[in-house]
Amino acid sequence: MNIEITDLTRRFGRTRAVDCVDLTTGTGVFGLLGPNGAGKTSLLRMLATVIRPSSGSMRLLEQDPAGHGPRREIRRKLGYLPQNLGYYPGFTVVEFVEYFALLKEMPPRQVPRAVAAAVERVGLGDKAKAKLRTLSGGMLRRAGIAQAIVNEPELLLFDEPTAGLDPEQRVEFRSLVRELGQRSTVVVSTHLVEDVGAACAEVALMHQGRIAFQGTPDELVARGAGHGTGDAPLERGYSAVLAAARA
Amino acid sequence: MTRTIPEADLAGPRRTGPRLTRLHLMSRQVPGALTVLACCAALLWIVLHTHWIRGDDHAADQQILLLIEDGAASVVAVAARNPFGESERTTGRLLPLLRLGAALLLSAAAVGALVLGAVAGRLPGGWFEMLRDVAGLAGAGLITAAAVGGALAWTGPLAYTVVAEFALMEDWQTPWMWPARPAHDLGAWLCAGLAFAAGTAVIAARGPRETGGDS
Repeated sequence: MNIEITDLTRRFGRTRAVDCVDLTTGTGVFGLLGPNGAGKTSLLRMLATVIRPSSGSMRLLEQDPAGHGPRREIRRKLGYLPQNLGYYPGFTVVEFVEYFALLKEMPPRQVPRAVAAAVERVGLGDKAKAKLRTLSGGMLRRAGIAQAIVNEPELLLFDEPTAGLDPEQRVEFRSLVRELGQRSTVVVSTHLVEDVGAACAEVALMHQGRIAFQGTPDELVARGAGHGTGDAPLERGYSAVLAAARA
Repeated sequence: MTRTIPEADLAGPRRTGPRLTRLHLMSRQVPGALTVLACCAALLWIVLHTHWIRGDDHAADQQILLLIEDGAASVVAVAARNPFGESERTTGRLLPLLRLGAALLLSAAAVGALVLGAVAGRLPGGWFEMLRDVAGLAGAGLITAAAVGGALAWTGPLAYTVVAEFALMEDWQTPWMWPARPAHDLGAWLCAGLAFAAGTAVIAARGPRETGGDS
């Protein structure tokens, strides 16, 4: 299993952003759903080794990230797209992706090919030499996805990856995620239920720091039968689970 | 999502170290920082070659000099900021070395620029004293960057400078106010050196604070 977390809690002051979460998942695409403030980003930041848990245990890629050496190893095999992507506007798309490939200690001979492949996979081949300051929000998001996948990570964490993408790009992104999920563990945090339905084999729905539902998208759809509100079956399942959690 | 990147856009295999160092320094806007340091050097040259520094009142001369040293140290501190945020923090072991290298390089450039600016002028206290003062202020700036973020890193050296200006007026004797102490004062050297060592160590190990980051 690439992610094994038990009783994981993260507090910010008196607020429990993540509250006693248990989660285990291996290769494939895992969707994290939930309303704003549910704890998705905090959970993802712990998985990305950006913040440490307040309590509980976590194993990533069969190592404990609490130790300095294992954390370093995990980070080399990790791809992470944060919710707020930072970038240096003077970099070209290729420089941006190459910088992360080098930081993740990819073998130098593999870097040019890996960078080209990552840039092409996100559809930015014709913008390879464009400065980041000239790109639209959706293109920047795709550049962010390229830096996350450049090292062929074993564990990929995407926080709101489709924010700013147009419908065609979202469809392409889902296809890319499905492809990546064949050999890596991909965790996609989003509040767009259609992304989860199209790309994820398993889904967890978070509410107030806890996991209110975990199962397949079909099981989430079944929860919405005859209940909930929403235009699509998944949305009805989503709202039914949330309504039950709030009750 | 299939397009072909023109061959000319692809870099061939290169040595990792120089390429990564170049990209890191670019992302920290080091070329721009060097330009600002050159401006500090030019300002120092003007100050030394006009009647701003008279040479008959060491404390007053040092007060003017301290403002320029503060500017140079602030450049070092602000350049520590991380434009990439969390995605950079989750990379490998090379990042602390790059941060350390950038901080040392810019600190050396700050001192070097001011030494050049003082060429053929009479620098109050000499360049040895200036080295100590800039190093200490840069250390304070790097500690500030780690505490409040790179964008506000200049506030640390500025706050220190305000207090040090007062210390110069009042002739304080504490070694922690190193700009008010003479060049041969061992205590002042130790305090400034400690600030610089702490600043470079903390910025290398943790990096600057980011909004929302707390690891």
